[in-house]
Amino acid sequence: MDINVSGAKIYFRIPFLGGYINITQTAVSLLAVTLILIIAAYFLGRNLKKRPGRVQVVTEKLVNMLYGMVEDTMGKHNLKFAPYIGTLFLSSIVGTLLGMTQIFRSTTADLSVTLAWALVTSVMVWYSNIKNFGFKAWLKGFTEPIVVMTPMNIVSEIAQPISLAFRHFGNVAGGGVLTSLVYAALAMVSNLLFGWLPGLLGNIPFFTAGIPAFLSIYFDLFSGFVQALVFSLLTMVYVGTANPPPEELPKTSDKSQA
Amino acid sequence: MEVVLDKFEAFVGVNFFTMIFAWINLVILYVFLKKLLWKPVKNMIDSRQKEIDDMYSEAEESLKSADEMRAEYEKKISSADEESEEILRRAQRRATLREEEILKEADKKAKRVMERAEEEIMLEKQRAINDVKDEVSSIALDIAEAVIERDIDKADHEALIDEFIDKLGEEV
Repeated sequence: MDINVSGAKIYFRIPFLGGYINITQTAVSLLAVTLILIIAAYFLGRNLKKRPGRVQVVTEKLVNMLYGMVEDTMGKHNLKFAPYIGTLFLSSIVGTLLGMTQIFRSTTADLSVTLAWALVTSVMVWYSNIKNFGFKAWLKGFTEPIVVMTPMNIVSEIAQPISLAFRHFGNVAGGGVLTSLVYAALAMVSNLLFGWLPGLLGNIPFFTAGIPAFLSIYFDLFSGFVQALVFSLLTMVYVGTANPPPEELPKTSDKSQA
Repeated sequence: MEVVLDKFEAFVGVNFFTMIFAWINLVILYVFLKKLLWKPVKNMIDSRQKEIDDMYSEAEESLKSADEMRAEYEKKISSADEESEEILRRAQRRATLREEEILKEADKKAKRVMERAEEEIMLEKQRAINDVKDEVSSIALDIAEAVIERDIDKADHEALIDEFIDKLGEEV
């Protein structure tokens, strides 16, 4: 029995500068996530009333949780990041859960997507650092606490988005691989036990019904939620650290001197 | 464009186009979710929170003003009680004063009336006495004339008679 561990399916490729641009399953999934979320947001965000209905209560509770979480981790002055964090979290969790449909592939099972998101986080951190502390102070930060540490600081700065991307990608993709392995194994056990049955009956993999559902609860639902949370939380922590409260910021005149 | 079926990307690989696509989707989602979900819901929560806060502070304020008003009214009522008592007391005092005055005046008037009556009585008595004196003296004179048949000095006679009558009057 063959088990193929592969990336996203390539639907078609566009010739581009001598090479190819691959249009893959992931791109379709990304589009699906965007459409699902925009439609959901449209229905949840319209007709808001002072006296909320059941749906509005839940929506408000979740939005409040998001803002509360951002305030707790990043501080009140960083509440402007809450919409991005919420968007990131929803993109991640819906992208992961989309894999359960078996029609789409999880967007987060593609390293390109998680790396793209991680780079956004890094760019936000770098931009905030330079804006808040000045370009020179940011560069100087690499030589601290001692000059010898400079290469390691640079490596850790580069490692940050990579680890962020691989953590999310590895969890989701690994879960998928594990699930398909278990499917194959169960089919094999099925074949061993019931292979002697005549005709089509012998080819039905009985064990694959039911048992993988429990795996899916862990790898898709639980892991998907945890990874979305971890990715958002780490983004909050990184960006929050680069945006300290206004009273801890250096004066504008210090920026040029530093 | 070339349709490729049954071809897969590497399991661990980065497709730059997918990255760009992910960014585009993220930006679109950010813009739309912010406009459709985060902003309106957050605004609704905040405005409701503000309304509740306003209501509470308003209720507190009106409670405070009601307390103040009650205290003021209580003070006013107690002062009104005092005032009415004062008015009553004053009226009573004035009434007693007036009563005494009236009594005194009536007393005085009665005394005056009595005095005048006594004077009148005296005057009347005197006049009666004088009348009787005159009458008696003229009668006596007539009698004496008849008795002695001659005129005696009228003035002498009158003096005699007056003396007599005075004695008589004292006896009466």
